[in-house]
Amino acid sequence: MKVRQTSSFLSAVLAAAAGAAPVPPDHAERMTKGLVIFQKEIAPLLKEHCVKCHGGEKTKADLDLVTREGLLKGGADGVDVVPFSAAESKVMKMLRHEEEPHMPEKKPRLPDAAIAKFAEWIDAGAPYSEPLIEGRKPARDRSVVTAEDRQWWAFQPLAKVAVPSARVSVLSAQSKQPHLSTTRWATSTNPIDAFLAVKAAEKKLALAAPADAATLVRRAFLTIHGVPPTPEQIAAFEKDFAVNPQSAMAKLADELLASPRYGERWARHWLDVARFAESSGFEHDYDREGAFHFRDFVIKALNSDMPYDQFVRWQLAGDEFAPGDPLALTATGFLGAGVFPTQITANEVERTRYDAMDDMLSTTSSAFLGLTVGCARCHDHKYDPIPTRDYYRMLSTFTTTTRSVIDLDLDSEKNAPKLREWMVLREPLAADLAKHEKELHGKFDDWLTSGAEMPKGATWSVLTMSDTKSKAGATFTRLDDGSYLAGGTNGGEDTYTFTAKTPLRRITGLRLDALAHPSMKKGGPGRADNGNFALSKIRVFAKAASGGEETEVKLAKAVADFEQNKASLSIASSLDDNPKTGWAVDPQFGKDHSAVFTFAQPVDFEGGATLRVVLEFAVNRQHNIGRPRLSVIVDVEPRVGGETLPAAVVAAFDALQKKNALNEKQRVALFDWWKRRDVGWRALDAKLAAHDAKRPVNTTKVLVCAEGYKPLVMHSQGANFFEETFVLKRGNTELKDGVATQSFLQVLMPSADATQQWLWKPQPGAQYSGRRRSLANWITDVEHGAGALAARVIVNRVWQHHFGRGLVATPNDFGRTGTLPSNPELLDWLAGELIRGGWKLKPLHKLIMTSAAWQQSSARDAAKEAADPANDTFSRRVPQRLEGEALRDSMLAVSGVLDATMFGPGTKDERSKRRSIYFTIKRSQLIGSMVAFDLPEPLVSQGARPTTTVAPQALMLMNGPQVHEWAEAFAARMETETGDDARIARAYLIALGRAPRAQEAESARAFVAAQTASYTAEGKPNAAHLALADFAQVIFGLNDFAYAQ
Amino acid sequence: MLALTSLLDRAGAASLNPLAPKSPPLRARAKSVIWIFTNGGPSQVDTWDYKPELAKRDGQPLEGFDTKTGFFPASVGPLMKSPFEWQQHGKSGTWTSGLFPHLSQHVDKMAFIHSCWTQSNNHSPALFMINTGQTRMGYPCVGSWVTYGLGSTSDSLPAFVVMSDPKNRGLPKGTALNWGAGFLPSVYQGTWLRPQGEPIDNLRRLSNLNDERQRAQLDLLAKLNRASLGDSAVESELSARIESFELAYRMQTAAPEAFDVSKEPEHVKKLYGLDQPHCAHIASQCMMARRMVERGVRFVQIYSGGMENQQSWDCHADLVGNHTGFASETDQPVAALLADLEQRGLLKDTLVVWGGEFGRLPVSQKGGKPGRDHNPHAFTVWLAGGGVKGGFHYGETDEIGHKAVVDRVGVHDLHATLLHALGLDHEKLTFKFQGLDQRLTGVEKSRVVQEVFA
Repeated sequence: MKVRQTSSFLSAVLAAAAGAAPVPPDHAERMTKGLVIFQKEIAPLLKEHCVKCHGGEKTKADLDLVTREGLLKGGADGVDVVPFSAAESKVMKMLRHEEEPHMPEKKPRLPDAAIAKFAEWIDAGAPYSEPLIEGRKPARDRSVVTAEDRQWWAFQPLAKVAVPSARVSVLSAQSKQPHLSTTRWATSTNPIDAFLAVKAAEKKLALAAPADAATLVRRAFLTIHGVPPTPEQIAAFEKDFAVNPQSAMAKLADELLASPRYGERWARHWLDVARFAESSGFEHDYDREGAFHFRDFVIKALNSDMPYDQFVRWQLAGDEFAPGDPLALTATGFLGAGVFPTQITANEVERTRYDAMDDMLSTTSSAFLGLTVGCARCHDHKYDPIPTRDYYRMLSTFTTTTRSVIDLDLDSEKNAPKLREWMVLREPLAADLAKHEKELHGKFDDWLTSGAEMPKGATWSVLTMSDTKSKAGATFTRLDDGSYLAGGTNGGEDTYTFTAKTPLRRITGLRLDALAHPSMKKGGPGRADNGNFALSKIRVFAKAASGGEETEVKLAKAVADFEQNKASLSIASSLDDNPKTGWAVDPQFGKDHSAVFTFAQPVDFEGGATLRVVLEFAVNRQHNIGRPRLSVIVDVEPRVGGETLPAAVVAAFDALQKKNALNEKQRVALFDWWKRRDVGWRALDAKLAAHDAKRPVNTTKVLVCAEGYKPLVMHSQGANFFEETFVLKRGNTELKDGVATQSFLQVLMPSADATQQWLWKPQPGAQYSGRRRSLANWITDVEHGAGALAARVIVNRVWQHHFGRGLVATPNDFGRTGTLPSNPELLDWLAGELIRGGWKLKPLHKLIMTSAAWQQSSARDAAKEAADPANDTFSRRVPQRLEGEALRDSMLAVSGVLDATMFGPGTKDERSKRRSIYFTIKRSQLIGSMVAFDLPEPLVSQGARPTTTVAPQALMLMNGPQVHEWAEAFAARMETETGDDARIARAYLIALGRAPRAQEAESARAFVAAQTASYTAEGKPNAAHLALADFAQVIFGLNDFAYAQ
Repeated sequence: MLALTSLLDRAGAASLNPLAPKSPPLRARAKSVIWIFTNGGPSQVDTWDYKPELAKRDGQPLEGFDTKTGFFPASVGPLMKSPFEWQQHGKSGTWTSGLFPHLSQHVDKMAFIHSCWTQSNNHSPALFMINTGQTRMGYPCVGSWVTYGLGSTSDSLPAFVVMSDPKNRGLPKGTALNWGAGFLPSVYQGTWLRPQGEPIDNLRRLSNLNDERQRAQLDLLAKLNRASLGDSAVESELSARIESFELAYRMQTAAPEAFDVSKEPEHVKKLYGLDQPHCAHIASQCMMARRMVERGVRFVQIYSGGMENQQSWDCHADLVGNHTGFASETDQPVAALLADLEQRGLLKDTLVVWGGEFGRLPVSQKGGKPGRDHNPHAFTVWLAGGGVKGGFHYGETDEIGHKAVVDRVGVHDLHATLLHALGLDHEKLTFKFQGLDQRLTGVEKSRVVQEVFA
């Protein structure tokens, strides 16, 4: 569970109490002495007067004195014993009856001698030789995962189980219950039935008789599509069923699973698990643009039978697994679907970020692993082997993960014709350019042989660093344009030192580019929270490339393209010695900036120079340049602007000057630069570029939760995220305990240091870190990671929505506080089957639906209810009430007004006739009729909905304006028949899949007649129609309509 | 007749009807709660927490003040005395500011807790905290816990009702999450009465259905449903469903009747101030609250004020104008509520709570008309009725009313105290969720403020 944040005041007190008291230098000696006192005097005293209430029969005030760990940990009222200091130990005052509560409670004070012994023992460190109650182990240190922890069933590899020989098991059951030989129980070849038979036989139970065809087809439709079958669909199935029940069921399963209705029905189950909503919650509950695409992703994934392991991977890291695939990016909406405050005060910024990451981690672990990892945020998990350290190491997966709204082409086929047309037009333009370029090669060779000369004038040569240093520990990644992207620590007041060799002589100035990059806040170019930087000082040192003494280069002048002001944040102030003034660029964020520095004397060494540039950022905290690039210029007066020669071109010129042959790379770089100086080439290139700019696009805004995109910003008085995730004590951001490096749950790893095998690193410069992909690798690794558990969890969810209850009844908790699997062999076999079948869910559905277990009748069996009240054996079928969505969709369907439009933006309008899954989920404005029927609040992952029966549900069915409208439409469908009897029969068939019983028909007929008379008496012209509508509404209220038998 | 032969005997079928009344495990002083929620955070030093020292130090800077305490660090002004006239009232000699001429006549019914403090300086988390015991959204609120613990004694009205500002000033931040059931079954969530139009969804019969025809529908429905009952494995669920239609049918008449204050005698309307435009809306809500409590509703919350800033007690600017306005909207109606409940003998069974999500700072928030910024360190809540000591003061803030210092009462302590008044033990009122026995007051030790009870 999530424990509330303690105030920092309280935490500080607790931390102080929990912190180790100072240990005296002679502690070992004292402890030895203390042990003797313990054995002789203290243990008997504790046993006689204390332990009964504190750790024995009771644990009053949460104080457990059975072990030393318990004693030192203290109780609800704090720590009573400070080892090595009786004077500071509160317990002494209680023993002396100087302070409440007096101890022993409600009993006379202990003799002075005994109290003195206590003081002596505490001064000796209060050692224990053994626990005071036999067999009690010292209190468990839950920060370490033990071999015993690993024994928990859910952490085991999948058992290699063979399908039991059903016939043998059935026979043993049969011998007690002879009538079973007539059921399909004995003839089933479905392995599910064999596994269930074994468990049922243990309770001397067997499966119920099979349901009839009409029940089965209705059950199948309601389960897979969430609407009842039409009379035609019923008839078709009954016909097949008469020929061969088993193949009829198989065919029905195939047909239902092939329909897009399947994804629409089952996606809703996953959306509960994913705590999906389309608004941020909290104070303003802003709508999240493009959030509904995640719902469409789930529908599409289910309908295309996307392998479940891929389904997991994409939701966690679709961008890292399939960078170009819009659907994969859309899947990451999973991480971003949680709540997030829209107004964050300065002292809440950091905690809010930890809350957001906690939401991602808790949902991930509940959804995929059925584990309550979130419980370990403030303390080691009390029940499961999940230490707090594991929590934070796993949490660091999401350090730089943020919500973003990006443009994606989700329907490339729609755009395809336009794109083809554009491609056709592009071809001749590209061909012209290629042809011209080919011709230029000859001229280029001529130019080379005629002694190619480096252009004079304002041409900047980019420096390639031989060394990059950061005082605060930032790391630098060289990008293709010669800039260096800073990563890692964004130190308080960093200093960068860049060293480069250049072959150039007569260097007259240096240019510093501060370049933007999407990975930075506000796009940079600085690493501060607002995208700014502040360069307090720049110093340049030079020496001959061949070596020698280094001297400082005096900077005569500095000019920048933009400066925040003309005084303390100007470019000129980066030359002075005041560390609190320097070059900054607020508010021009997300743009490239540059400054040029004129050398007082040109730097000129034969054979080139080694330049060392020192950039200091002391004006403001964390205001470091995020992507610097350095270039130099020769001969001319440096100016802002001008051409920039890539380093490779400079190297090529240098080679030419030295009469060296160009290597291929230099040649390509030089030609690429040279061709751009040709007027003809430039004209053709411009034409092509103009056409390229007109590339037809078909993009839509999609909410993703990934890295490197512009984060969605709220009204925050601070950063959107931090570069590092720390281990926190008691979940308190004030109590940091070192940086958390990524890892996973030890208990689901072969060893605590096995992390490396799942870690994945992208190419340098990639916009993502690879951490989420690493997590997904671990979750789906069946051999060494958490894959076996992940398979069990999803198999259980599928089972649950077929039978109303999982094989594990707590679908989101497979830990110690959850329930044990009722049939572990079956669960493991199904999980194995899922994996062997390539993680596909549709075959699993079919396997379940073709089992005798699924096809049992739901007729009541009181004896069985008594023998197996919870139906752990699944040897009977319990009717299931439809969820609000399915009930509403069913009313729409039988009324004939259901609008089958799939996908796209949802609506909050209850008058919509689309399926309920297309309702917009806005947290503060949940759809009333869905909430009345137990739609969970989309706040945390929900594995199972409660089924409540309350008056607002009835009110909706009695007085809901939509229900009335649908009832009238349903009445119109009845009116295609003639006469009340035929109409009533039609209504029963459409809505309930059966004919009315004689008694039902009679009551209905009497009702319709009476209502017609009543309306007629009022002079209503359409009395018969209104009466039928009233009857239709009664049908909607029938238990038989709302329950799948 | 169906009600009489109900399959769902209200007392005996607790397992089926989640709202069946349950007897409290401890001695219950109160049976119901009416919480006047002063939304936005009223200023303790301008209402009930008398601070002569603050007046003496008016205009002086507050040394060592953490400017991040409030919401606007850049607008911190000097200490500011209360601009209101303070006087002593009642036998208890309780000091109150001049904002509450009517309520001041009832101080001897009130137990003041001056030492409340909370976790957040921001409306939304602080609202969640005071309502649900957690600063994060999505946890069950006090009203939900109470109805979960005690059920309802009404068979035709919702158990937990919330009324909000009807003057188009918005809803408290976080809206419905403040009266949500979180992980408790949704049946325990507060029923929010729409301030305008129909207060409850689907309460009114539509189009052609009159009572007779709807009754005929429900009779047919019950007959058909009952016919297939006996052989079902989920008989109890199906029975409950049949009964739910009957309850719904009764609600159609019972709820509008309970909400209709028009038939109250003229002198009662006058007492509440229903004839006074400035307070008629709260008067009406207070009268409705009384009528509901009379009819067995367990928990009623009335929000005074809408969203933030000048829409509620959130007096960032113009303390005088803001507090004078919201005090005059509530003063007479709430005072009348206390008098009316007492006169009807209901006050002893009804706990009336007055308070918001946090307090205000003793320093000013600078501006043309100065205000006060948020203060999580101190605020005053008063309780009346339900067995509390009248004219009693518990806890103290420091001499300028900045921080609670003596007998500090955290939000969990306050919640434990409210539950205690209703005969519920905050440590034992638990619900299994995510594998743990969750409770309103969280995992750390909380304390019932026994002292406030007579």
